[in-house]
Amino acid sequence: MKLVLAFVLAATPALAPFAFAQVTADTPNPFDGKPDAVEAGHALFGQMNCAGCHAYDLTGGMGPDLTDASWLYGGKPGEIFHTIAEGTPRGMPAWKDKMTPEQIWQVVGYIQSKKAN
Amino acid sequence: MRLRSLLLSAAFVCATPALAATTGSFTGATANLAPNDPAGQWTRQARDYANTRYSPLTQINKKNVGRLRIAWSFSDGQMYGHEGAPLVVGDTMYVVTPYPDIAYALDLSKPGAPIKWVFQPNPDPRSIGKACCDKVLRGWAFADGKLIYNLLDDHTVAVDANTGKEVWRVQLDDVTKGPTMTQAAFVVGNKVYVGSSGGELGTNGWFQALDVKDGHTVWKAMTNGPDAGALIGPDFHPFYSFMQGKDLGETSWPPGAWKQGASAPWGWVSYDPDLNEVYYGTSNPGPRVPSQRPGLNLWSAAVFARDADTGMAKWAYQFTPHDEWDYDGVNENVLIDIPWQGARRKVLVHFNRNGFAYTIDRTSGEVLVAKPFGTENWAKEIDLKTGMPVVNDAAHPIVEKKVTNICPPDIGVKNWNPSAFSPRTGLLYAGVFNSCMDLNNHIVQYIPSSPYDGMEMQRHAGPGGNWGEFIAWDPVAGKRVWSIKENLYVWSGAVVTGSDLVFYGTMDGWFRAVDARSGKVLWSQKLGSGITAAPMTFIGPDKRQYVAVYAGVGGGAGVIRREKGFMPGGNTLYVFSVDGNGIGTGTTQLVSQAGAAAPVSVPPAAAHN
Repeated sequence: MKLVLAFVLAATPALAPFAFAQVTADTPNPFDGKPDAVEAGHALFGQMNCAGCHAYDLTGGMGPDLTDASWLYGGKPGEIFHTIAEGTPRGMPAWKDKMTPEQIWQVVGYIQSKKAN
Repeated sequence: MRLRSLLLSAAFVCATPALAATTGSFTGATANLAPNDPAGQWTRQARDYANTRYSPLTQINKKNVGRLRIAWSFSDGQMYGHEGAPLVVGDTMYVVTPYPDIAYALDLSKPGAPIKWVFQPNPDPRSIGKACCDKVLRGWAFADGKLIYNLLDDHTVAVDANTGKEVWRVQLDDVTKGPTMTQAAFVVGNKVYVGSSGGELGTNGWFQALDVKDGHTVWKAMTNGPDAGALIGPDFHPFYSFMQGKDLGETSWPPGAWKQGASAPWGWVSYDPDLNEVYYGTSNPGPRVPSQRPGLNLWSAAVFARDADTGMAKWAYQFTPHDEWDYDGVNENVLIDIPWQGARRKVLVHFNRNGFAYTIDRTSGEVLVAKPFGTENWAKEIDLKTGMPVVNDAAHPIVEKKVTNICPPDIGVKNWNPSAFSPRTGLLYAGVFNSCMDLNNHIVQYIPSSPYDGMEMQRHAGPGGNWGEFIAWDPVAGKRVWSIKENLYVWSGAVVTGSDLVFYGTMDGWFRAVDARSGKVLWSQKLGSGITAAPMTFIGPDKRQYVAVYAGVGGGAGVIRREKGFMPGGNTLYVFSVDGNGIGTGTTQLVSQAGAAAPVSVPPAAAHN
C-alpha cells in the first residue's frame, strides 16, 4: 500500500490521468496490470463506504450491481472514474473531495477486476 | 358500558379451544376499533387507530371465497417495491406509487375505475441513492378532505382529495445528508404523525406531529440525544431500571456518537384514544457495527409511548439493548386488551425483528409476554424481571471474522409488513421469515451522505429450508396456533375479516385467503409479481365487497432476489370480487370516463436496484 502510494506521488506530475479535469471517457486506467493497485482499491471500497450501497461482493443492494454488464453511466474505466468523482443525479455522492484521483483509479481497478469490461 | 364490556370479556374468556375452532375467541383478547369508520370504508392504512387491520365485512365468506376473481386492475407504471394499501373514502380509491410518489384518485362509481386525478410531486431524484431498502412508500393517509403522505426526499405533502391540487408541502430534513422518508403518515384529529428513515445512513432520527391544516410542526421528538430534544421530562417512567436516568439518549453512547446513531422511526404508528397516547418504534443504531458504539445506545431499537398532543414521552422499552444485529424496533404495535391473571390489561403486541413477540402493558411499559415466534438463536430468553434479553455468547459479531449461523439475519423474523388482529378469534396473523446469517463485521467511518453500515452477510434459509411462513399467534399464551409454510419470505401485510378470512400474499406471487381459525388455505390466485404490500377490503358504490392488493415485489425483500421463484417487479393493483362481478365488468362494451391521463414518465433504470 505504501509502496503504491509512493509510486503514485512520484508519478503524478507527469501523468494526465491523475488530474480530474483531464480524465475522459477513453482514458485508460493507469494502474492496468498492477495487482497492488487493485488490492488498494479493494481496501478503499470498504473504507469509503462503497460497500454500504454496492455490497461487499459488489453485487449491489441499495445501489446498483457493479458486476453485471449493465452500466447506468457508462462502463469504460474513464466513465466509471467520472461517476465516482462527480457522483450521480440519483444520489451517489461525489467523491472527488474525499479521494485523490489515484485512489479513485484504484477503486476503478478493483471494480474492473470483478468483471471484464 | 363497563358492565357490557365485562360481560363480553367473560363470554370470550369462557370460550374453550374446541369452541374457538368454530365460533368463539381463542384468547379473550379484544380491541377498541376506533374511530369506527363505516364498515365498507378503509380510510387509514391499518383501518383503525389500534392497527388491527380487521374489517367487519362478511359478504365474502368461507362459502364463496373460492369464487373470487379479478374485477378490475390498475397498473401505475412505477417499478420500485409496492408496500401500501389503497384507501377507499366514499366512491374514491386513493393509491400512491413508490418513488416518484405519484398519487392517483380512482373513481369507483364508473366502469373500470378510471383515473379521477393524478398528482405528481416530483421529489428530488438524489433521494434514490439515499434510500436503504428500495425507493418505497409504506402508506398514505386521508384526513380533512386531503390525501397526506411522505415523499422520499424528506417532505410531507397534502393534496386536495377532490381536485388533486397541492394544498401544502413541508420540508422536514435534508435528503442530501442521508435521511429519507418512507413511513406511512398517520392521522389522528388535527395532527399527522410522521417519522424519518435512514437507519443505515448515519442519520439522527426524529418523529413529529404536523398540523393537518398547513403542515407546520406541532412537536418534534428526536430519538437520541439529551432529554430535552427527545421530549423526555417528568412524566417519563420507563418500567425497567436499565432505562431510568437522565439524558440516557446521550450518555449511553460514546461521546457525540448519538448524532449519527440513526434510530429512525420509519415504521407504524398506533393511537389509544382513551389514554391519548401514540406508540411507535425506532430503528437500529448506527453504525451497524456494535464495537464502534459501546453502551446501550438508547433510544434505538425501542418503542415509545408519547402524549399525542404534546409529544412528551410516557414510557419507552428498548427491545434490543446495544443492538448488534440490525434488529430495528419499528414494526407495528397492535393495541388490544387481554385477560391477564384475572383482570383486563391494555396491551400492545409487537412482533420484533429480533424474533420475540412482545405483549406489553401499554399503560406502563411492563412486558407481560415475550416469546419467540420464529427461528432465533441470538437470545436464550427475555428476562421479564429486568426486561433485558439473555444473549447467546455465540451470537456476538466479531470484527473481521465470520460468525456463522446467527438467527435471524438483519431483516429479522418479521419486518415492517403489518400483521392483523381479529377480535373474533383473539389471534394475530403475521407473515414471518425463517432464516439465518453468517456475519462478518468491518469497521466503518462516518462519511456524510454515505452508508454507515459495516455488516457483510450471507443469509440462508433456516431449519426446514423454507424461507417463510404465515402464522396465527396467541398473544396471551405467547404461542403459535397454526402456521403455513411458504417457499420465500412472507413479506406482505395481512387483513382479517368478520367472516374469519385472512388474506395475505407471497413473494412468489400467490394471493391467498385462509380460514382464520384453522389455517386452512381456501383460495389462491397467482398475480403478476411478488406481493410485498398490505391487502385491504371495502364495499364499492355497488354495495359489493371487494378485496384489493398490489403486486409489486421490492423493498427489503430484495435481499433474497436471487432465490428461485423470486418474481420480476410489478406495479399492478388487483381488485377481486365474487365471480369478478362489479361496475368494472360486464358483457357489453364498457368504456372509461376518465378525468385525467396518467403521466408517461417511467424511471429509465427503476428495476436496476
